[in-house]
Amino acid sequence: MSLETISFAVILLILIIGMASLWFMLQKANKKLVVQAQEPVIPTITAPTVAELELKLKTAYEAEIAKSTTIFAADLTGTSTRLSEQVSRLTTQVIEEELGAYKSTLEELRKVAGGTMDQIRASVETQRVELRKNMEAEVALERERLIAKFQVKMGDIVAGYISESLGGGIDIGSQMSYIVASLEAHKEDIKKDLTNGA
Amino acid sequence: MALELPEAVYSPQLLEMVIYELDLYNKWYQQSKVKAKVGVKSDLAEPNHSQETLLVIKAWQEAESSKNGSLEDLLAYLRQLKLPVIHVSLAALPNSTQRLQLVRWFQQLSSPRPLVIFSADRTLGGGVIVRTPNHIYDWSFRQKLEEARGHLGKVISNA
Repeated sequence: MSLETISFAVILLILIIGMASLWFMLQKANKKLVVQAQEPVIPTITAPTVAELELKLKTAYEAEIAKSTTIFAADLTGTSTRLSEQVSRLTTQVIEEELGAYKSTLEELRKVAGGTMDQIRASVETQRVELRKNMEAEVALERERLIAKFQVKMGDIVAGYISESLGGGIDIGSQMSYIVASLEAHKEDIKKDLTNGA
Repeated sequence: MALELPEAVYSPQLLEMVIYELDLYNKWYQQSKVKAKVGVKSDLAEPNHSQETLLVIKAWQEAESSKNGSLEDLLAYLRQLKLPVIHVSLAALPNSTQRLQLVRWFQQLSSPRPLVIFSADRTLGGGVIVRTPNHIYDWSFRQKLEEARGHLGKVISNA
């Protein structure tokens, strides 16, 4: 048997012994744990510890409540804001819809009224044109009648006009040149009349 | 017997007045002559003469053809006169200067001289209407306006 085999056998033996001892230690620890588990451990807490713990709990509780309150307030504010926005949006939408409907109705009414007004305006315009035509014809007729009357009575009108307009201010002296010129222009005719009529 | 009436006796009315005065004078003269012949003093005053009558007598005396003619001859001559008469209408009666100017104008047209009657018609407005024995010449303003009758009608129509 070689040395190497012997060494190997020794090491193997040592390892087996070590593993066996470990196994026994583990068995012992396991048994101890089973025993400990079967018997409940009742911790004993001192009054200062309780007070300290209560104080810590209270502080933590209050901090948590304050934190929750803050979060809740923030949520509430956000919700309120969103609600307001929603209400506002809804209100605006409703008002816009109502206004749209109102505008639509108003537009329809305007169209109807516009149509009626156009008809009335056209009717009035027609009557106005007809009335104007009749009046113009009547005025023209009256004017023609007056002119005809004026021409028939021209002599009286002219005589009356001359008499009224001149009044007493007739100056024969200023007319003498015209009178003599008129006579001179017909001198031969007058001379012939005098010769033949004598 | 050609006697030209003085230009002052230009109208039939003036001629009538001259004849009347001459007749009056002739009657007075005849009566005075008879009374003087029978030796009775005449108590009738000598009638007055107008300027026109004196001018006619003067013209009568100067006329060559009437030499030695009596007052009765003059009266007879004046009464038988058939002179052409011209009617002159104006817007107003002319004054003596204007009247004389017109009378002279008419009198130079013919011999014997025509008689002229003036009348006034303010409705003429101006100008003159001359009526000769055969014609009426209307050169009045009124006639001018009436001639423009159509034009006046147009003006009124346009207005």
